[in-house]
Amino acid sequence: MKTVLLVDDDHEFTTIAARIIEFIGCDVYTAGSIGEAKQWLADMRFDHLFLDFMLPDGSGLHLIDHIRSLKLTAQITLITGHPSVKAALASMCDEQINYLTKPIEADDVKRVLNTKTATHHAQSDPFERHFGCLIGHSPAMKKLVTMIERVAKTNANVLLMGESGSGKEVVAQAIHNASQCSGEQVSVNCGAIAKDLIGSELFGHEKGAFTGAINQKKGVFELAQNGTLFLDEVTEMPIEMQPNLLRALETQTITRVGGAKPIEVNCRVVSATNRTLAEIAQKNVLREDIYFRLAVFPIEIPPLRARPQDIPLLSEFFVHQLNDEYKTQYQLTEQAHTVLSAHSWPGNIRELKHCIHRAFIMADPDTTTLTIDEIVSSPFASAQASDNQVPPRAPATSATTPSAPVKVGETIEEVERKLIYQTLESVDGNKTLAAKMLGISTKTLYNRLNAYEQSTPEETK
Amino acid sequence: MTDKPDIATLIHDARKPLNHISMHAELIKILSQKPGSEAEIQQSAEDIIKASKACSELLQTLMTQD
Repeated sequence: MKTVLLVDDDHEFTTIAARIIEFIGCDVYTAGSIGEAKQWLADMRFDHLFLDFMLPDGSGLHLIDHIRSLKLTAQITLITGHPSVKAALASMCDEQINYLTKPIEADDVKRVLNTKTATHHAQSDPFERHFGCLIGHSPAMKKLVTMIERVAKTNANVLLMGESGSGKEVVAQAIHNASQCSGEQVSVNCGAIAKDLIGSELFGHEKGAFTGAINQKKGVFELAQNGTLFLDEVTEMPIEMQPNLLRALETQTITRVGGAKPIEVNCRVVSATNRTLAEIAQKNVLREDIYFRLAVFPIEIPPLRARPQDIPLLSEFFVHQLNDEYKTQYQLTEQAHTVLSAHSWPGNIRELKHCIHRAFIMADPDTTTLTIDEIVSSPFASAQASDNQVPPRAPATSATTPSAPVKVGETIEEVERKLIYQTLESVDGNKTLAAKMLGISTKTLYNRLNAYEQSTPEETK
Repeated sequence: MTDKPDIATLIHDARKPLNHISMHAELIKILSQKPGSEAEIQQSAEDIIKASKACSELLQTLMTQD
């Protein structure tokens, strides 16, 4: 929900406009003067300001100067009742500022509130974002960006597949931002809705449709009209509910629970799952007919370990976000970057973000450097890694039975090095897990690896 | 020369109730979709009538200016 500040000295106008903006789904505050608006800005954070050009204690431009001096990123819409100053207002518009002329209509308000701020971020932070939200320049990311660009030009439904924490929701947002749709993105987690309420959540209900349905309610298909509907964890939807979804996808019409009238819907459906294709097919979590409707264009989101070039950039970005939030100036040290780049991140970007946040909390307040001595892996990620990765490989490359035999005359150091590399290989480079299997600390493992790299760089490569 | 600012002021003043009329109509459009909004619709309709009268009076003043 966006928070809006409406600044106008015409009390009747602010009362009606506030009511209209409330119906659009925003939280609205009003001010009758620049002084009053400044007070609100000091106390609260607003996403959007509607600002009258002429106010009793000065021009709206004075308030814009004030907003810029505070480095606030709120979007600003100037409102004027004088059509003659339209041209002057238009000349002042940029990424942050646009304008409306009175009388304002609900559709105009919706349009300015939905102004996509893709390029806006570039002003407030130094990170280049693809489609306003994706960060990364690795080959895997470039491939993903190309796929998003292509599919955004069509109306095709997209199925996003990727490990937990790999950024499926951000990719869904990128597809929405890249497409030319006029509606909004509406997200729903199919795994989080009670079985009995899925129908109502997706398609809405009529008043009195069931006990507790005290008002009519629109479903997410209707709310995403002319926009994007993001169905997260779609494979967690009970299979018996899937025929209803299939019907909506096929006919592009829905009927509210308890209703009789079919309602036409027009939205792109982007769905996401962290299950693999093989798992989807074998475990019968998604009907085949639904799969073909949802996965017109399937996109595999690479795990973070498949795009290690992005780790430094993403790490810097998360530090920047925290610095921004807490008004600090921390920077990652070289050592921190080395440790971060060496980790395999089984929990993907979410785990990286968590790790940076932890380091930020632990940082010495007397310095501006952020060091990371050891990565505390997520217990869930470690468990998953143990479940998924170790058993299939264990027979061939068990820590106790290295595949390359130990030769008489080899030094203990050579045997140890072989053991370390084979253990690492058996866990796909996960150093935390390898250290655990070897019975040494992660720090010791890093020290050993650094020593090997320095002594025989060619061999280690 | 002295009449022009007065006419501009009058036009500005007339625009204000016209804007209110238009926005009340917009609000009624939205409220008519929401069950239980009868009282608010009634209020907006009354405000439209009030604003129309104010506008009419202002236009009358404009007539006498000429």
